[in-house]
Amino acid sequence: MNDPVVELKQVTKVYGPVTAVDRLSLAIRRGEFFSLLGPSGCGKTTTLRLLAGLERPEPDGGEVRLLGELVNDRPPYERPVAMVFQSYALFPHLDVARNVAFGLEERRRPKNEIARRVGRALELVRLDPAVYGGRRPAELSGGQRQRVALARALVLEPQVLLLDEPLGALDLQLRKAMQVELKALNRTLGITFVFVTHDQEEALVMSDRIAVMDRARIAQVGTPAEIYEHPRTAFVAGFIGRCNLFIQRAEGREHRVAVRPERVELRSPGAGPSGEGAAAGPGGPSAAGAVWDVVYLGSVLHVVVRLDDGTDATVALPNAGQLSHPAAWKRGDRAVLAWRSEDATVLDD
Amino acid sequence: MRRLARLVARRPGARTALLLAPGGLWLVLFFVVPVAALAAYSFMVRGVYGGVEPGFTIEHYARFLDPLYLGILGRTLALSALCTVFCLAAGYPMAFGIARSGRWKSVLLFLVILPLWTSFLVRTYALIFLLRDNGLINTVLRALGRTGEPLHLLYTRGAVLAGLVYGFLPLMILPIYTSLEKLDPSLLEAAEVLGARPLSRFRRVILPLAMPGTVAGCLLVFIPSLGAFLTPDLLGGAKGLMIGNLIQNQFGAARNWPFGSAASVVVMVVVLGSVLGYLRRRGAGAAG
Repeated sequence: MNDPVVELKQVTKVYGPVTAVDRLSLAIRRGEFFSLLGPSGCGKTTTLRLLAGLERPEPDGGEVRLLGELVNDRPPYERPVAMVFQSYALFPHLDVARNVAFGLEERRRPKNEIARRVGRALELVRLDPAVYGGRRPAELSGGQRQRVALARALVLEPQVLLLDEPLGALDLQLRKAMQVELKALNRTLGITFVFVTHDQEEALVMSDRIAVMDRARIAQVGTPAEIYEHPRTAFVAGFIGRCNLFIQRAEGREHRVAVRPERVELRSPGAGPSGEGAAAGPGGPSAAGAVWDVVYLGSVLHVVVRLDDGTDATVALPNAGQLSHPAAWKRGDRAVLAWRSEDATVLDD
Repeated sequence: MRRLARLVARRPGARTALLLAPGGLWLVLFFVVPVAALAAYSFMVRGVYGGVEPGFTIEHYARFLDPLYLGILGRTLALSALCTVFCLAAGYPMAFGIARSGRWKSVLLFLVILPLWTSFLVRTYALIFLLRDNGLINTVLRALGRTGEPLHLLYTRGAVLAGLVYGFLPLMILPIYTSLEKLDPSLLEAAEVLGARPLSRFRRVILPLAMPGTVAGCLLVFIPSLGAFLTPDLLGGAKGLMIGNLIQNQFGAARNWPFGSAASVVVMVVVLGSVLGYLRRRGAGAAG
């Protein structure tokens, strides 16, 4: 791996009795779309703020490096980063053009250069400078404010762009559209994106790599496929998508394993592997229980089975059309769940 | 009663009128009418034992052009402006500090408001004990080894200024505090990440966003200090006379109601003029 653009080494940040970030290490490559994913309070926003310089690590609390340089004590205004805030934090007393120009004015760029770059940045986020340049933030919709906040950061051509849940306040349609646009900007501009979110689907869709955070530490770092298909802990397995936790016996020992709902096959007791392409052969790992509920999700059906040990498991079945081919399962039916051992991820904890 | 309720329910305009009526009547009766009377008096003829007699004259306004009275007006304007500047210089940092004082906020605000709980008159008398020739300040200076004549602090313009600033400081702090308190801290963080150093953050973010509160504070200090008469009366002596004292004197001992009215009208015009002038400049600034 070439030199990381962003690097944290054993970084710790404490607020009173709470350790927000606990000996956290990570390295982010140039141009990468890197997500910090986790539930609220896991320390992901604090990690981002440590990169921005809005928080400083504890004394002896590790190293923050940007472009290879130690920046622990460097104030935000001297760091090669830009940031998009969750609330956008647009200046209400300045119009759109002046908001976007703010950083360039701080850098004492000549007037004509500022005007040119502001226009280009607004076009980059698809806001017509002639139409929107003179408006105040209060006169914009949520999506437009989001774009202005993005333009205000991008106009500085930063090495690293920090984004703190930037899509959280948008409705679903707009959020999906912005996900695609952000990803495209990351590709075309070659800027390293560090993206904080609690939305696992968003992280999977956009990221080159994801760091899943849990209680002030990183639980797992990897590509979306690695995180989804080989979660290392029960927390990661449960946080990213839906996951079944089973006890599986192998070589005389019991392991806790995670299996995705679409990797589990549902059978009637006594029946063999059903049809061709059956996922699990006979003699493979399995668990028995009774159908508790059948949930209609559109493209798939989730059959929730209460296992004999009292835990619930979910099996995803493709939806063949409930009006023409209703599912054979109903509440109370006895069922056996089977899976291939290679689809089961043995959990560390 | 029921018909009234139905009328109010049907027409929002009626509801507004009903809400405005009590306070509106009060203001018409006790503000508009007396001010109109005052303005009328200023053009009438002086009565022998006070009061006015019918007639029309502008002699009272002409008399006000005497350098003596213009001097008092000028001194009043200067003292009030100076008082506003001092209050601003002391109050802005204080409001800023309180807005960022975390859990001490309510205690500090309480302390700012505390002086308003006692009579202004009593507090001004307390200042006399502090400032007079054998008052607290001179006693302490003597104890520290200072010999010779005591400092003559009382009955100076400085004493009036000190009293005015002390009296009006809370009125400066409170509105500025309110607008600083409302300021979203993430705006300052955004400015910081965008490259703004502390001074620049103050100038480009805090100052403009706290401007409404700052203007309100300045008006709340400047306007009443123009009309102050108690403070200059008790602390100023002859040298510290302000226009408020002149007006009080004309309605009292001098028994010249029309001239007192004319002086009052002049003060009102100055206040209105300065406020309107400021608002128009601000409006133009906001548009540009």
